[in-house]
Amino acid sequence: MTQGSRLYFAVAVLMCAFVTINGVVLNDLLERASQLSDKLHSLSTSLTNDLDSHFPPVGRAMMPRPSMCHTSSLQIPNDKDQALKVPEDELLSLARSLLLAWSDPLALLSSEASSLAHPEHNTINSKTKELQDNINSLEAGLEHVFNKMGSTSDNLSSLPFYINSLGQDKTSQLVNFHFLLSCFRRDSHKIDSFLKVLRCRAAKKRPEMC
Amino acid sequence: MRNSGAVLILTFIAKLISQAAGVSRPGKPRLTSCRSPEKETFTCWWEPGGDGGLPTTYALYYHLENSETVYECPDYRTAGENSCFFNKNDTSLWVNYNITVVATNALGKNISDPVEVDVVYIVQPNTPENVTAVVVRDEQGPFVRVSWEKPRTADTRSGWITLLYQLRVKQEKDKEWEVYDAGMQKYYNVFSLHPDKEYMVQVRCKPDHGFWSEWTQTTYVKMPDYIPRERSLWIMITIFSVFIVLILTWTLNVKRNSVKLCLLPPVPGPKIKGFEKQLLKSGKSEEVFNTLVIQGFPPTTDYDELLVEYLEVYDNEEQELVLDGKDLSEDCMKSKSPSDSDSGRGSCDSRTLLLEKCMEGREGSGSGSGSDQHQYSQHGETSWASTESSESQGPEPGSPESADGRSKTWPVVFSSPQPQTHHHYQVGAAKPAYHSVPEILNHSSPHTTPSNYHQLHHQDIPQQEGRFSKPACRHSQSYNQFNLDGVGTPAPGVPPSPSLEYVEVQRVNPENMLLLWPLSDPNRELEGLDCAGEDYSKVKEVTNNILLLQRDTSHQCVDYYSQDLDNQADQCTTQQPPHPCKPAVHQSNSRMPHEGMRVMGNGYVDSTVLMPSY
Repeated sequence: MTQGSRLYFAVAVLMCAFVTINGVVLNDLLERASQLSDKLHSLSTSLTNDLDSHFPPVGRAMMPRPSMCHTSSLQIPNDKDQALKVPEDELLSLARSLLLAWSDPLALLSSEASSLAHPEHNTINSKTKELQDNINSLEAGLEHVFNKMGSTSDNLSSLPFYINSLGQDKTSQLVNFHFLLSCFRRDSHKIDSFLKVLRCRAAKKRPEMC
Repeated sequence: MRNSGAVLILTFIAKLISQAAGVSRPGKPRLTSCRSPEKETFTCWWEPGGDGGLPTTYALYYHLENSETVYECPDYRTAGENSCFFNKNDTSLWVNYNITVVATNALGKNISDPVEVDVVYIVQPNTPENVTAVVVRDEQGPFVRVSWEKPRTADTRSGWITLLYQLRVKQEKDKEWEVYDAGMQKYYNVFSLHPDKEYMVQVRCKPDHGFWSEWTQTTYVKMPDYIPRERSLWIMITIFSVFIVLILTWTLNVKRNSVKLCLLPPVPGPKIKGFEKQLLKSGKSEEVFNTLVIQGFPPTTDYDELLVEYLEVYDNEEQELVLDGKDLSEDCMKSKSPSDSDSGRGSCDSRTLLLEKCMEGREGSGSGSGSDQHQYSQHGETSWASTESSESQGPEPGSPESADGRSKTWPVVFSSPQPQTHHHYQVGAAKPAYHSVPEILNHSSPHTTPSNYHQLHHQDIPQQEGRFSKPACRHSQSYNQFNLDGVGTPAPGVPPSPSLEYVEVQRVNPENMLLLWPLSDPNRELEGLDCAGEDYSKVKEVTNNILLLQRDTSHQCVDYYSQDLDNQADQCTTQQPPHPCKPAVHQSNSRMPHEGMRVMGNGYVDSTVLMPSY
């Protein structure tokens, strides 16, 4: 074996290894991301249940419509056929956009949670805090996934949130809190679904998982 | 006005009539549940509120959250009665459905309460399919492997829906199920099932965020009959013990010889010193027997020292007074007769203990101790052999038992007195005398003993002893050795030993008899003597062939004997007990040993009967 061919062989082996590792890493990253998103949605569901346990019936009537969620403008696939047609990077950017859109509202929620007029506001408070941490972790993870996927364009939709306060009176605060949380619960389910689709798309090596 | 009034009245009457007839508008239906099995379609069910007696129709209407357009249920049949099935086209995710049901009959309709439904939240998959449970034989024991398939409708492949499975197992008779979580895998191994039992298995699944499906139909599995064995432990034990056995065997093999030595110690064969088997084989008997001859045996020079050590020989020129040697020799010979029944008496009592006063030793006795010893050594080498045996015994003066023991070793030395002998005397009559003998033997007498003999003839027997017979009377010749001067002289050559009495060796006659003279120290106390009553006789004076012995009054010795000298002997022999030789003897002491005394056949007095029994 000549020296040149030896070098070429070594480079090829390294590249193969890199690609392999890369693929493995991406798979693991997506796995981890989907786990996080699952946790996120579970937390939001339990928070919603906690709030519903002592929710005034009049508040339900006052509840704004879900279309009033600040993320409703984002175009997302509504059914499976549509979702499965979306390319991975678009799915990822959708997930990331949604995630990004909830950083500020969750901060607001966590700040307002302590003063909620609710018997279980302590639990709500701690869970909200946990929610915030999870979102931050998932954001970082998805950024890694994005980098790993090697997409060229980073078209994240901007979903601004302009609400500074949940309301002056306790009832409106509570109602707004509940509404915001319901919006988040849905969006977290979207994120989770998209990521799990992505996970199964990347996991060619582990078909038993999908 | 009139019309409305009439309508009202008519309605009222109609109601009354209908109520009377039992018909009314339908009751309010109620939406019971809406479910989506695969997150692609969903179905809603309602229950009717009551038909009001009239045929009622139900209609379901819905509208999405962000539009006001009301749609009616597209499919009332697929899902069965009172249901509405929304197919894929009509299903939108992450959108709230506002659903109401309207019941209509001839008399009116009734609208249910609206229900807000988001499809993604109402996912409940179908049950898993093809549940199989097989028994797998394993070396550790059989177990059951349950496997199943996902529900047909769920699309887990694309990741659209993620299912988590759960199974439960129980025996027919059990109340509670054993639930196991299988995660996302489609099989599960159930261990720790009892052998020869039938089990029921059921499986269900759940989406990541949704409701559990129904349990599958029961699958039965029967465990085989097996015996659980902990093989690994037994294997380890077996190997370990085999290993140990091997090690032991190897060790035993290596140490074969020492083991043999330990278990079967070698018996020393008979070996004669100087005797060589080779010589026997060679056939020269002369050489063989020559080797057996010990040079320098019997030892001569060695015994000199022994003699020096042990002997205390007193040379007393005044022994002219002592008995006639010839008679003594006769006596010696005779007294050596072993016709002595030793039973019933202590060792000291034995007649054999009685020394024969063989006058042959007279010559030897004339010299100093050293020469005496020498002489004696020459004479009685063989007898020394017997006496030698006594030296091995530690002298314990004053102890009767030891004295007895030692006295026992003087069988040769002390010859049994013969009745016809006149010249015998009892040597060391006193027990202390006897056991002073070895004392003397063991101690070298550095100084020549004064040639004083005391004839211990009349030594009072220690009370606990009293085992030696005393001559009934003393023949004049027997009493040849007494020390005239020796009364009051200290026992010559008596070493400072606890022994109280010393016996002087007068001589050793050719008959290999050691003639001993009891050496009494009149000044000496009877130390260590348990003798309560015995006493040493001290020679008071010798007059007219009469030996006067003085009894030591310090002790309560039983008695003392006065011994006649030669001319008294005859008298004594003929006399009967209790009191021998009494007339010939002056007794300084009132106490006479006559009671209980008897004369032995050979003329000696046996005072054993006098002795208190110990």
